[in-house]
Amino acid sequence: MEDYRVEHRMGLKTRRIVQAALICAVASVGMSAGAVAADKTLKFGAPLPLTGPLSPEGLKQKEGYDLWAEQVNKAGGIKVGGDSYKIEVVYADYQSNTPRAVQLAEKLITADKVNFLFSPFGSGATKAASAVSEKYGIPTIAATASSKAVYDQGYKYLFGTFTPNSTLTTPLTKLVKEKLPAVKRVAILARNDLFPLAIANVMDGSAKGSGLEVVAFEKYAIGTLDHASTLTKLRATKPDWVFATGYTNDLILIREQMRNAGLKVPVVTMIAGPAYKEYAESLGKQAENVTSAAWWHPAVRYSGEDVFGSTEKYNALFEAKYNKVPDYVQASASASGVILQLAIQKAGSVDPKKVRDALAALDAKTFYGPVKFGSDGQITSLDPPVFQIQGGKPVVILPADIKQADLKPVS
Amino acid sequence: MLYLQILVNGLLLGGLYACIASGFSLVWGVLNVINILHGSFIVIGSYVGLLAHQQFGINPFLTVPVAGLLLYGFGYLLQRGVINRAVGQPVLVTLTLTFGLELLVNNMLIAGFTADYKKVVLENPFGQIELGALFVPVDRLLSMVLALLLTGILYWMLRGSKLGRAIVAVRMDREAAALMGVKVNSIYAVTFGLGALMAGAAGSMMSMIYPISPIISTAYLGKAFVICVMGGLGSVPGAIVGGLALGVIESFGSLFFSAELATTFSFVLLILLLIFRPTGLMGRRGYE
Repeated sequence: MEDYRVEHRMGLKTRRIVQAALICAVASVGMSAGAVAADKTLKFGAPLPLTGPLSPEGLKQKEGYDLWAEQVNKAGGIKVGGDSYKIEVVYADYQSNTPRAVQLAEKLITADKVNFLFSPFGSGATKAASAVSEKYGIPTIAATASSKAVYDQGYKYLFGTFTPNSTLTTPLTKLVKEKLPAVKRVAILARNDLFPLAIANVMDGSAKGSGLEVVAFEKYAIGTLDHASTLTKLRATKPDWVFATGYTNDLILIREQMRNAGLKVPVVTMIAGPAYKEYAESLGKQAENVTSAAWWHPAVRYSGEDVFGSTEKYNALFEAKYNKVPDYVQASASASGVILQLAIQKAGSVDPKKVRDALAALDAKTFYGPVKFGSDGQITSLDPPVFQIQGGKPVVILPADIKQADLKPVS
Repeated sequence: MLYLQILVNGLLLGGLYACIASGFSLVWGVLNVINILHGSFIVIGSYVGLLAHQQFGINPFLTVPVAGLLLYGFGYLLQRGVINRAVGQPVLVTLTLTFGLELLVNNMLIAGFTADYKKVVLENPFGQIELGALFVPVDRLLSMVLALLLTGILYWMLRGSKLGRAIVAVRMDREAAALMGVKVNSIYAVTFGLGALMAGAAGSMMSMIYPISPIISTAYLGKAFVICVMGGLGSVPGAIVGGLALGVIESFGSLFFSAELATTFSFVLLILLLIFRPTGLMGRRGYE
């Protein structure tokens, strides 16, 4: 009686819909149970500047982590012993405010209970946040910190994917000396900020070390809107090589104002803007033949044991997902995930102490390049490429085995 | 020759500074509202220039009126609908209000345009005039001329037109102006709109000089603030004098000291000015 009444009330059509829905529900439960068989999750914390002045860089790091996590989960997660772990990257936006990055790193560890951590953007914030992960013994990978001051703190849980700054300037100086022997006088213009100033100081050393004369070393304040007078001053020192450091907006402005100030030199080097496609797009012809160096470039060719397999495959996957070519920030972020994954697999455990030891002993090949860390935690195995904007695109001019073109003078 | 070049650099930079500050000065002087949104208004103007150039290949100088009118409408509605509700309140209340609106507008710009830097790249750049060893970039020169022209028109409008006199009357005595039949709320909205118009026009011009991104807005706002205090509140020529003075001071500062200290140098001068002449270079008593 009961049944009949219900059936009657619902009507035949409704009943069919209900049945179909039930079948779907059962099927989907079954399917998801199949895919996540035995599933545990590993959480990776990532405090990033997703808003504010550093957001372009923060969003790039996020793209790198997301691509890695997506590929690993597609391949069934990280397998440790008999278990497989799904990956979840937990993001926290520190709004380009370094003290907030430190607070959020602590929150990710204590409240969100992340197993591992990715550092915030740049040397300054990475250094600040590294004290927190060290305190809690959480293995941490710094994707965008190169300055020595980050790694000489004696920390055990911090590992970085960028080689020291001098590995960018020394090969470049050598190349310029070899190809353009008439270049003798170097003028340096540096943003007064941790990384830009550190790399300018290292350039000063590289130049003097190879017998070039540094005729000017000027610093400009963060947020400077005009370089005309500084560049006029530099012009008076008659340089052959202008080496400018800063971020994309500074370097676009400096390049444009160099033309306005009539500062024409055979070699113009800028770090770190030209690796980004925005740089060449915003400058057009003015970007031509500007040289730069970075820790990675999509033209490098490595094969690896990681989830991506090789640089070519990484580039292809990245382009398919984001419809653009990856630069070193995105690749280094993906590599940070790859490195933690390899260390977890080698350790055969998710125990932070064991993973930390596996990181210290890691000697692996990846799409990003060979990975081996020095005793201070900074990578030692990379050979960073030198490149030049030619035809609106960055092309590799060093190391010789992967070079796509030769160094050309600007004018 | 070096000094002359530095002076020219300073004046050209000052022209851009005047452009950045004039609308901000008007709004502060008349409404007693510190418009934190001003930097984002300039950025919106820059995006108008950029989009028009990307889509239709129009030179950003030609989109100056378009950007100006668009921002006028936006500013007018914002004042009418939102800021007028708080305009009689102490300055801290309106400051908080515009600060909140700035967060809103700026983050919407980031969501819409991303924070990546872009710039208008002209097929045929204006280049520079070379007079012996003296270099004068033409785009900056044109921007300076246009900025001075726009500010001149604003000045003339405030002095000579009926609307301008009403704005000045409201600035002098809000109650008395209301008693004389001036629609105070409407004058406020028009004034705020004019401030936004100046910002939009400046933004469109500067889209080929400065890299464009929503996050550059704070740099513009910071400069506008200093220029207004230096030039003097409640005075349209003050923005020009303040802008030119700041440009020249910064240029010589980076020559004699270093680029790093140029800003510090200009702030020290500003503090001295405030001690000895709190009304600013051109300001009148009562507005400091």
